[in-house]
Amino acid sequence: MKDTPHGAADTTPQVHADQQKQTLKFFFTPRDALAGEMEKLRRENPHAKDTTYVPDLVDALKARFGEALGEVALYAGEHTVYVDRAAIVDVCRFLREEAGFDYLCDMATVDRFTEEDRFEVVYNLVSIPHRKRLRLKVRVDEEDPVVPSITPVYRAANWHEREAWDMMGIRFEGHPDLRRIFLPEDFEYHPLRKDFPVLGIPGSLPLPPQQADGDLVYDPFPRAHGDLPED
Amino acid sequence: MAVPTAASPQRAHGAEPGSDRDVFTFWPRHNAALYEALENKHVHVELDGDPLESRMVLNLGPQHPATHGVIRFVLRLDGENIESCLLDIGYLHRGIEKLAEVKTYQEWMPYTDRTDYLQPYANNVAFCLAVEKVAGIEVPERAQWIRTMMCELARIQAHLLWLGTMVMDAGALSVFLWTFKYREEIYDIMDVVTGARLTVSHCRIGGLASDVGPDGLAMIRKFCDDLEAQMRDWKKLLDRNRIWLDRNIGIGTITPEEAVELGFTGPNLRGSGIPYDIRIVEPYLKYDEVEFDVPMRTEGDSLARYFVRVEEMEQSIRIIRQCLDRLPEGPIRADNAKAAFPSKDEVYYSMEGMIHDFLMTDVGVAPPKGAESYHAIEAAKGELGFYVVADGTGAPWRLKMNAPSFKNLQGLEYLMEGAMVADTVVLIGSVDPVMGDADK
Repeated sequence: MKDTPHGAADTTPQVHADQQKQTLKFFFTPRDALAGEMEKLRRENPHAKDTTYVPDLVDALKARFGEALGEVALYAGEHTVYVDRAAIVDVCRFLREEAGFDYLCDMATVDRFTEEDRFEVVYNLVSIPHRKRLRLKVRVDEEDPVVPSITPVYRAANWHEREAWDMMGIRFEGHPDLRRIFLPEDFEYHPLRKDFPVLGIPGSLPLPPQQADGDLVYDPFPRAHGDLPED
Repeated sequence: MAVPTAASPQRAHGAEPGSDRDVFTFWPRHNAALYEALENKHVHVELDGDPLESRMVLNLGPQHPATHGVIRFVLRLDGENIESCLLDIGYLHRGIEKLAEVKTYQEWMPYTDRTDYLQPYANNVAFCLAVEKVAGIEVPERAQWIRTMMCELARIQAHLLWLGTMVMDAGALSVFLWTFKYREEIYDIMDVVTGARLTVSHCRIGGLASDVGPDGLAMIRKFCDDLEAQMRDWKKLLDRNRIWLDRNIGIGTITPEEAVELGFTGPNLRGSGIPYDIRIVEPYLKYDEVEFDVPMRTEGDSLARYFVRVEEMEQSIRIIRQCLDRLPEGPIRADNAKAAFPSKDEVYYSMEGMIHDFLMTDVGVAPPKGAESYHAIEAAKGELGFYVVADGTGAPWRLKMNAPSFKNLQGLEYLMEGAMVADTVVLIGSVDPVMGDADK
């Protein structure tokens, strides 16, 4: 404290050197799995369902598409198959026509924020007659975030791919109408990327004015950015 | 009464000829001229072709009383037929998936209340189940039975609104008020059980926030009896109502192949004969221990979906009654300090309880790095799922919500083409989207 009362000594407590290193950061320190925890959760998850456990299908896929598949992950009784992006349309076509996976349940995109293979496109396919579920993943680089569109195989992928473009900036080659879906076309960023701030980017979106007769506001959180609105 | 003219003006009431109130004029010449001009008026019509054959672009929304939320349909009309239709959504996009990355799992729970705001309890349960699957947390029996019961109550809540608004959009305004009376009763039940009417957030990771007392259970039982009796009357009104049938039969027919191809979900699939209900295919909570039927129809038109949803309401009542009878005693949250909040007694009276409470609030449940899973429930609108990618901290790395209304709207865009303008409201009602869900 700089403004101590006149004549008083500086009474700031001295912090020991090793105390300074031990900062409490339990929120932001990622926790790796404890010994045996992942194994236990893979095998004994109380919520695991038998629709997602499809080893025969995974073997059939490996037999058919060997080199085009990456690793196969299993967690909480759910199989996940990593597929090369060049082969995704063929894999989907095989699954739809020969394995009975007729329903595209969901598509998601994940920003891994790594140097290589930054983005992941996740496909959640369901076989209604066989009552099975499979997850496919395609990894793409930041420099070339293009994935072949699976709309020729699954028509339901149309809006999901538009959402992936809107939110994460992954282009889909062969999509009939790749436009933004939630945000206006004027918006220039892809919000779900990790480098897009949670509070938004000032200037990216014109917002209603603070007063009824004021101008459009361009900063969604003026106080948070140190920019008080005019009163 | 004779038209007053300049020659025979109107006389004031009770005025004798000769007095100064003899002639009640009130601009008689002006009126006379007006009536004369009306007789002589020629109407010039310049037709740019036949008006029924002209094409126009019509914007239905985003502010519209019959579109079930803020959504914009841009229709290109050829007279009364819709040639092509584009949906413009995103008016209610709030970026909750981005917010999930900075909040702990429990902190994010209230956002789920606000997605499908017609059935907030079921959204909470869906999210809780997804996180419990990623983290491998087992929930005690009593909590599972209560969650089952309240999920079904939420399904009734959503279907009541669907019934009221769909029939209101078709013209019968009273049904809206009748169904909302029962929604008010559900709000009162939620108030007593959870403390809030609409945005309940009653679920906690690992169980529930608080237990249901006997007064809450009595209210639920009474509600079931009342609603069952009332639904008989509603069915008597609608099931064979000529107007209702005429407005719904053959409208928005979805073939089974189309339904699966377009990504429809929920009663839209089951109205076309596709036997897909998450409660049967991937049972969660106590659905494999209660007896219920899943209504299905094969016609695939709007009336089939109406019957599916109404019968789902009846089946929900059946499930709730079984849950009420079979509700066991026991704890309502998991006992594991890393998995669930400790009880308030423990927090106030023990040091460990206080520490665990603090850590659960600050860090929360932390599934290991690299864990990811998907868990879905059968919500009233369809398959509501959450794909959680965990990174070892208390907040998810990525949370993707599989919103049923998003998929249903994609199919609705296809259904609108070829329909007539008057059928738009019936189609929207029968597909039953809710924008909080679709826009996230």
